[in-house]
Amino acid sequence: MQPDKHENWGMTPGPRPGDVDPPYLYEDYRSTHLRAPKEKLLEVPAGLFDTPGPWVPPGFIRDKDGDLTIHGTGAPLGERMVVAGRVLGADGKPVRRSLVEIWQANASGRYHHPVDTHDAPLDPNFHGMGRALTDDEGWYRFITVKPGAYPWQNHPFAWRPAHIHFSLLGNAPVQRLVTQMYFPGDPLLALDPVYNSVPDEQARKRLIAMLALETGVEGHALGYRFDIVLAGAKSTPLGL
Amino acid sequence: MQRTASQTIGPFFHEALRWRDGHRVQFAERGTSIVLTGRLLDGAGEPLADSLIETWQLSPSGKVPAAASGDARPHGLGRVETGKDGSYRIETLMPGSGSGAAPFIDVTVFARGLLKPLRTRVYFADEARVRSEPLLKPVAGSTRVKTLIATPEGTDAGGATVYRWDIRLQGVGETVFFAL
Repeated sequence: MQPDKHENWGMTPGPRPGDVDPPYLYEDYRSTHLRAPKEKLLEVPAGLFDTPGPWVPPGFIRDKDGDLTIHGTGAPLGERMVVAGRVLGADGKPVRRSLVEIWQANASGRYHHPVDTHDAPLDPNFHGMGRALTDDEGWYRFITVKPGAYPWQNHPFAWRPAHIHFSLLGNAPVQRLVTQMYFPGDPLLALDPVYNSVPDEQARKRLIAMLALETGVEGHALGYRFDIVLAGAKSTPLGL
Repeated sequence: MQRTASQTIGPFFHEALRWRDGHRVQFAERGTSIVLTGRLLDGAGEPLADSLIETWQLSPSGKVPAAASGDARPHGLGRVETGKDGSYRIETLMPGSGSGAAPFIDVTVFARGLLKPLRTRVYFADEARVRSEPLLKPVAGSTRVKTLIATPEGTDAGGATVYRWDIRLQGVGETVFFAL
């Protein structure tokens, strides 16, 4: 099937004014080159995906799913840390009882994943995966270790800054978000095309967690605060 | 408040985002079993072996699915990884649709190299009916509307109708994706 010529519908792929998301095609991030759509995207009504659902039953999560440090026979290596924050809608209201899933490299910068070929050591006490439901105020909290930076194939000598992957289901399809949390003061951020693909400087900076000592555990774990704002849902499932 | 920006899912999400039987969509209702299957291909025609597909749909009676508090996981939501050949397979029930509209499933694609997900919708109806969908008016006169229609391909061993639907991210036959 050949794509049609001389059409003038939809929009040109790329950021719109005030858009916080990266474009599909970002030259410096090589993997986008063959995966970014080239045709115009279909404009759809703003409310199309702003309907309630899906709803996550509480039994989907166990309490220990939020602690990434207790799944081995001993403590994982690395700098123990808490990351906590609130998940809010664009209207500032908490996104309640909503699923947050995270994954990350270990303190050496190695993922517990078969396709990670970095020769940094695996940690038998750290798999780097967690999930939680936000509470009635939108709070989530994970206990983990600080991930290490690691090399990747974008170009020779390329290293990703330390980061934690976040997946949020939200309470409406429009709120679905996958993002990455970075750490303050990381010199690799300035060189990272994934981070720098976000067009707006303030939006980039909000991907960096804040050091928040009081969020940690005294004498045990350093604290970081990372709030997440999802597209505003007009409605929420089951009146949440 | 300004939204938090999207970032790529990367290549290392599998175990963290894998749900038990994520490819079998749950409902509180019974309905007509269907299988939605196909391949994801990039601009060079190569399979996407490292992507995640999520589906969201109405129940067979056309309601927004909602799990009960004792259920094991969300209803109406499918989540599946693509295999080495870029293939995916979702087992679900034919979604209901109100007032004669063509039944559809919302599909979201995540992958390394996608800094934000791709959103689209697959329809289970003949071409004429899909072309008359108000949402698709801008592409109604285009051959590209065919990229949004699943093709029935007989039944599987369990009697479910198998629908084939490939997703092409870029280039010839590129799937119509939604701006969101």
